[in-house]
Amino acid sequence: MAVDTATGHGTGTLPQIKGVKEVPYEELFVSGHRTCQGCESALVMRHMVKASGPRTIVLGSTGCMYVANTTYYTTPWVVPWMHTQLGAAGSAALGTAAGLKVLMRKGKIKDEKINVIAFCGDGGGADMGIGAISATLTHKDYNSLVLLYDNESYANTDIQLSSQTPYGAVTTFSPTGSDRRLMHTRWKKNMPGMMAAGHPESRYIAAGCAAYAVDLMNKIRRALELGGPTFVHTLDPCPKGWDYHPQYSQELGHLAVECGIWPLYEVVDGVVNLTGPTRQIAEGRKKRKPVGEYLKRQGRFAHFIQDDIDHFQAEVDKMWEEWLIPGVIPFTIPQKDTRILNIDKKRPLHAEATA
Amino acid sequence: MTTQAAPAKTTDITVEVVYRGIFQKTLAQRICRGVVLAARRSGHPGTAFARYGDSPERNGVPAKQFAVVAVDDTQLEASMARYEPSIVDVTVAVDDTLVKGVESWAWYGRQPIWKPTKPGGVVIVTSDRTADEIIAQTDKAEKPYTLAVVPGGASFAGLWVYKDDHTDWRVMGALAKVAPEWLPLEHVKALVREQTKDEGAVASVQFGHDATVLREVKPGEGTSGHEVLQFEKPGWTTMRPGIVVDARKPGERNPFYKKYSARTQRPVVNFDTCIKCTMCWLDCPDECFEVTPTGHYEVVYEACIGCGICAQVCPVKDCIVMVDELKFEKNDNVWQRWQSDRESYNRWFEATTGVSVAPPKTKAAAAAAGGDD
Amino acid sequence: MAVEVKAKPTAEVETEQLLTGCEAIAEAIRLADVDVMAAYPIRPYDGVMQAAAKLIANGRMDVEYIVADGEHSQFEIVKHASAVGSRVFVGSSGVGWFYAFEAIAVTAGLRLPVVAICGNRALDDPGAFGTEHNDSLAVRDLGWLLPWAETAQESLDLALMAWRVAEDKRVSLPIAIGLDGAFLTHSQQLVKVPTQAAVHAFLPKYDLGDRLLHPDNPITIAPQVDQDWLMEIRRQNDAAMRKALGVITEAHADFKRIFGRGGDDPFLDEYMTDDAEIVFFGQGTLALPMKVAIRRLRKQGHKVGLVRLKWFRPFPTEATVRSLTRFKAVGVIDRDYSFGSPFYGGVLYNEVRSALYSQAKRPTVVGFIAGLGGREIEQPMAQEIFDKTMAAGRGDLSVGDQCHWVGVRD
Repeated sequence: MAVDTATGHGTGTLPQIKGVKEVPYEELFVSGHRTCQGCESALVMRHMVKASGPRTIVLGSTGCMYVANTTYYTTPWVVPWMHTQLGAAGSAALGTAAGLKVLMRKGKIKDEKINVIAFCGDGGGADMGIGAISATLTHKDYNSLVLLYDNESYANTDIQLSSQTPYGAVTTFSPTGSDRRLMHTRWKKNMPGMMAAGHPESRYIAAGCAAYAVDLMNKIRRALELGGPTFVHTLDPCPKGWDYHPQYSQELGHLAVECGIWPLYEVVDGVVNLTGPTRQIAEGRKKRKPVGEYLKRQGRFAHFIQDDIDHFQAEVDKMWEEWLIPGVIPFTIPQKDTRILNIDKKRPLHAEATA
Repeated sequence: MTTQAAPAKTTDITVEVVYRGIFQKTLAQRICRGVVLAARRSGHPGTAFARYGDSPERNGVPAKQFAVVAVDDTQLEASMARYEPSIVDVTVAVDDTLVKGVESWAWYGRQPIWKPTKPGGVVIVTSDRTADEIIAQTDKAEKPYTLAVVPGGASFAGLWVYKDDHTDWRVMGALAKVAPEWLPLEHVKALVREQTKDEGAVASVQFGHDATVLREVKPGEGTSGHEVLQFEKPGWTTMRPGIVVDARKPGERNPFYKKYSARTQRPVVNFDTCIKCTMCWLDCPDECFEVTPTGHYEVVYEACIGCGICAQVCPVKDCIVMVDELKFEKNDNVWQRWQSDRESYNRWFEATTGVSVAPPKTKAAAAAAGGDD
Repeated sequence: MAVEVKAKPTAEVETEQLLTGCEAIAEAIRLADVDVMAAYPIRPYDGVMQAAAKLIANGRMDVEYIVADGEHSQFEIVKHASAVGSRVFVGSSGVGWFYAFEAIAVTAGLRLPVVAICGNRALDDPGAFGTEHNDSLAVRDLGWLLPWAETAQESLDLALMAWRVAEDKRVSLPIAIGLDGAFLTHSQQLVKVPTQAAVHAFLPKYDLGDRLLHPDNPITIAPQVDQDWLMEIRRQNDAAMRKALGVITEAHADFKRIFGRGGDDPFLDEYMTDDAEIVFFGQGTLALPMKVAIRRLRKQGHKVGLVRLKWFRPFPTEATVRSLTRFKAVGVIDRDYSFGSPFYGGVLYNEVRSALYSQAKRPTVVGFIAGLGGREIEQPMAQEIFDKTMAAGRGDLSVGDQCHWVGVRD
């Protein structure tokens, strides 16, 4: 049965994966890409297409996952792949999805489910390309997934800071010096939260991390299954820009989540569903680790003094203790107004989201 | 080679530093700048540059920086506005595993470490090994050259924090030994003294100069065990229009870029203690692991970049051990050996890794067999 | 916005309709069965998108009509739709065209046959709505085919030619039709709208062949290159542009055969040149006031004519040389500027001179910058252009071999 091109509903061909034993063995992004040792973003690419399967078209905007992976005359991609411009991931997804849709409707190509995934880095997605991604998330008739792989800097151009670079981190545009310890003092943009809050007709927005591989693959699958324009944002530890030994990429990913800095969640048809350790932390079943455990592992924070760590901790604490939805929606309301929240506590969020 | 046997002073000298991308970027830069600034003390002009094709550097992927010094500006011009010199007088490898060959970003294929070194030139390697051990892992020489071994292990550091273990100064001392007419020891020491105000650093220059062991390498010396990896480039009439290249076939690996020369260590698996939890396979960013008929996962060494993630995520203690790459010559898969003769495989495992084959399975291991989340 | 109404069969007789240049293009979009188009507002080009939207709203055509968030997205959207096999249309004007510039550049590099119009408009600053050709001309070196239309009829005809030429496998390059803002985009003229059957006979289906981005044809498009590859890739585009001349000639012959229009020469439109000694040379709507001037001057006994350039890229060097070497003096009229260029001339002026350079017998070429910002070419200006070209033809070096700004206040 073909996908309903009008509604964008999936065909049920991408069931949720229960445990590592069910992860597809077939590689659609193969070895021989020119990425760094321990590149977590390369792992995201691998998991992304493992989850989506062979009937997928991937659009890759400029960044590490373009320049490092696809060097002319060689490619690691088994699925069809095309370059798009730094700020064009949203437009590439939209144009490709629209093209496939009309050709199927007019009978010019076979009517079938073809997954369209456009990826971008944090620079291309959260800085330059945010407008186009936002626009794409409002075009509910086109089935496409925009995946933002976030290594928290323009790691491909020499590690310059982006709007996703964490507070205080050293980059080539924000070095530490004798006069200024911290050149970069802006707090990281809340991309997935912003995308979810601002695009009511997008059926699926998620924040993931390749250190939680099955969770990530299921998020990719759910996005493609629900259809319409969707968005998944992954946090990818980057040994090059973050400055740690490549063998610790998975560990850094775990720490980012366990310290509450990178909450894992999905927003399904407007219902927030915390996943993995983030859920356990929110439910009080797991204690948040102090951010120092994460920061002190990375050379990009080597110049931090205790004050910096304390400030970082305070901001993360706010995410958990003051935000309307911990780690997701950065608003709160005056005490006297709690009743206007009007959330029916009896409705289990998780059941809703996974229904 | 002694000072007397040093290359007769020509119109210019080119030094290349071959290093591990990112980890040794600052180190290579310090050496190349040192060459230019030390030679300046003899009144020679010079230039130092990183190979553009290596940028953006990738962790561990071999990269190169260069220093060119000439008798005058006119001679120097011949070396300006180029990506890299075609011939160098001295090649410096600041990680001894680089002698197994260099497959860089900047070209297709694997090159012997001595490829750009001129006949009779010098290859300087920082290593704790003997010259003979290094030659045994270096591609068979097609021209005579001198191997110079500077005592000391590979100096790795991150991008933001430079770990100065004096490798730069020891290499400068070695350079003063092999090219005294361009880099007189006294000038090098004076430069380092001025730059560091540290007599320890100056002593390291002297040590590098005195302790560096020189060994003539004759054509035919070295190994022929390394893979030959070279490619022909098509022209515009045969290249597909529209900047199109064929996708990889399912099950295929990229034959044009293999990545293993980025490896300083390789994972070695103890199949006896493997619990088949799949974590190494799942978390490998380079798709290195392949499942075997027994359900074990084995490393495809051609594709392994040696990041060490598999050893980190493996729940069983010492089931995957990272071992110095120079202990191995081939990239052959080893599971078959284990399958046919476990005893000899296990003896080999213990010999190479230095750990015992059979620690009891840990609780963590049993638990982790369930999955990752 | 997506529209999914099925296109109704169109009346199978050629009709004559009163259409603006923009509306004429919209009719061509309908007849060409375009699959994807992307719109963003900026005058004067967007009359096309407004007209197309009406056709869609009234069920006259079936196309994915995407209102984008900016020109960059507009051009990226159609670029990617084209790569999966959709026939596409897009357009912009002035600074909007420049906002899309990155996408415009890569589309040519990718050899994707995107068909666009550039409703020629002066560039900011200051903001101005009138016509100038510098927006289109900015892409002249990138591998875009650049024809210019004179009338609404020619707009429709060139659009049909555009898909035919751009999508031809020997060419496979994007094309941007130049339409003078206001004079052509917004003035209504009587236009013959051909039948669907005739268009089908002229315009084959879009087929990317083995360059199609689809799971059944797994390829990687546009991997990163270094100095080892880029020259070869540029050379491929050069070869495609060279082939375009022949493909346009073919298409022009077929067009004449099927529609009975299009003039004698695919690249040049000559007016009263048979016995001419002096000719004006230019492109777009400025040909119209110059023809008026020619008729007036002819009454006074002057042997003067006009050569209108229809395709700026690929530049028809042979045809231009063959034509212009017949005359004593040529007055090249540029509705553009190229500050600091040789002789401070316009773009067209220096292209013509370069084309003629190697000819033993070549006319004197005088340059004129006129009608910038949409300023009308009035008869006194035409007279001045004629007088100076005439004088140059007589060897008056005080006017020859240089460029003059016409109709500008001192």
